[in-house]
Amino acid sequence: MEQSHVGRTKSRLWLILGLGTVSLFILFLISLSVGSYNMSWSDALQAFINSVMMGGDTSAMNTQEKIVFLVRFPRFLAAIAVGIGLAIAGAIMQAIVRNPLVDPYITGVASGASFGAIALTMLGFASGTLAVYLLPMSAFIGAILAFIITMSISEAAGGKAIAFVLSGVVVAYAFSAFTNIIIVSNPDQHKSIMFWMFGSLASADLTQDAIMLIALFFIGAAALLYARELNVLLLGDEQANQLGVNSRRLKLTMMVLASVMTAVCVAFTGVIAFLGLLVPHIARIIVGSDHRLLLPASMMIGANFLLVTDIVTKMNGDLPIGAVISLIGAPFFGYLLISRGRDYGS
Amino acid sequence: MAPDAMVTISDVHFTYGGKETLKGITFDARAGEFIGLIGPNGSGKTTLMRCINSMLRPQKGTIIVDGKDVSKLKVKEVARICANVPADCNEDFNLSVQELVFLGRYPHVDGMWWESKRDESVVKETMHKFELDNLAGRKLSELSSGEKARALLAKAVVQAPKVLLADEPSAHLDLRYQLEVMERLRELSRQGVCVITVSHDMNLTSKYCDRVLMLDQGNIAAMGRPSEVITAERIRDVYGVEVSVFRDGDEIFAIPRKAIR
Repeated sequence: MEQSHVGRTKSRLWLILGLGTVSLFILFLISLSVGSYNMSWSDALQAFINSVMMGGDTSAMNTQEKIVFLVRFPRFLAAIAVGIGLAIAGAIMQAIVRNPLVDPYITGVASGASFGAIALTMLGFASGTLAVYLLPMSAFIGAILAFIITMSISEAAGGKAIAFVLSGVVVAYAFSAFTNIIIVSNPDQHKSIMFWMFGSLASADLTQDAIMLIALFFIGAAALLYARELNVLLLGDEQANQLGVNSRRLKLTMMVLASVMTAVCVAFTGVIAFLGLLVPHIARIIVGSDHRLLLPASMMIGANFLLVTDIVTKMNGDLPIGAVISLIGAPFFGYLLISRGRDYGS
Repeated sequence: MAPDAMVTISDVHFTYGGKETLKGITFDARAGEFIGLIGPNGSGKTTLMRCINSMLRPQKGTIIVDGKDVSKLKVKEVARICANVPADCNEDFNLSVQELVFLGRYPHVDGMWWESKRDESVVKETMHKFELDNLAGRKLSELSSGEKARALLAKAVVQAPKVLLADEPSAHLDLRYQLEVMERLRELSRQGVCVITVSHDMNLTSKYCDRVLMLDQGNIAAMGRPSEVITAERIRDVYGVEVSVFRDGDEIFAIPRKAIR
């Protein structure tokens, strides 16, 4: 018997989740074994299992176990969390703004985060024991501040998608301007701010991972619950309302969720560019526009993609990961635009 | 109010930006009736349509649809009663025909994520009826205007509406498809749906619709059988156009002659 449309969609979903998980597991082994101190994947896995069996008690660990458990495993988790988070946020933003050329930083959160981080650094709070928490905190506050300003301007301008995009651009410019002025007048502080501008997974620890994964769990679940509503939204506000979706409320909710998700990622790992724009695109080419497939596929591709990039980064003496993604992403995106740009917008 | 009315509009006023676009509209439409709304640009046709499915809230007056005051219904409850056929739709995300038609089931799907067997069979039947089987996997952007119009119509039909609102559904179509769309709308009305359409084509409207409502600057200029409403004097008064109206049995034709300056 011919399989039904829904049945086929379900099997594709399981295929995506299955393939994605298998490939994540392989990348997990590679990422534990690759770094400045190389070990075989079986040693790395053994060291990981040992350290977990010890309940994460660092005093009992040998050097290998410490490297795997305290450096590489947190970095692996961070890559997954940020990969999933930015990919979902990007897919949501593209559906809301109904423009596939939009990324999760469209609300100005990236420039807001950079500004928050550098403002703290300039105030002299960026050193000392508390800095580990203060920096992400102020980056997060900067990001949310930028988001609130963007939303207020676009709501005041009538709340249309284009008003939202434009006010995001305005806010991003304004915050970048502040950041640039501060950097130029304090040239000795360049190093500490570079982190936010290029992004890095190098300083991830388990506490940060836990915060990101918890945020990810709730926001990801909410996005998945609203997958059908996001589908309806693709037809435009008017059509969505006619089909029984309160488009204004849905868009506002989703925008808040996606921006908080992005802000959490940016706060800990800096501005990892292009990922949130690229991944939903690749997913859309593979699975189409149904968000019940698109969101899970984006999650899987995002996690795998960032993990691969991070492994490449580690193999080359810790290049800035955001720069590596942009290097891969820019030509790829240029190609996408040339080959499919015609389909977009009117 | 007629006892079998599906849509009852009583003294509806709508003001937007200081301009009163509807100035006290009152009329009934029954289940199984095919009604054509005509009138010049800005006469309030689209505004009236959008008030019926609660996209706009009139400042005064009531609209009862299927026995319920639409202003008191949630958007999803309205969507279970009223469906809409747009003249066009967004193609940016490259939905397939099948995906588009499935979206029409949205207000009826009970499951959290997946459409039920019943939803699926409704979609399948409707796609067959609208000759879309072979186009199921095609992207909307690859369709001809006529095929797209059929897909949009199918999307509205799977919504299982009691009231179908079609705002210039044939605006971008050639003659053959214009007729096809009107025929399909009429067929739906014969199956018991209350179909209301806005059209700029007086001849098509009068050929297919049971009743015609002519709006003029937010007022009802005339209402009734097409041959009663469409007269040379009325079109001159309302549109400012000289026309010749011919009759062929029950059918009438309005041929435009010149605009009055």
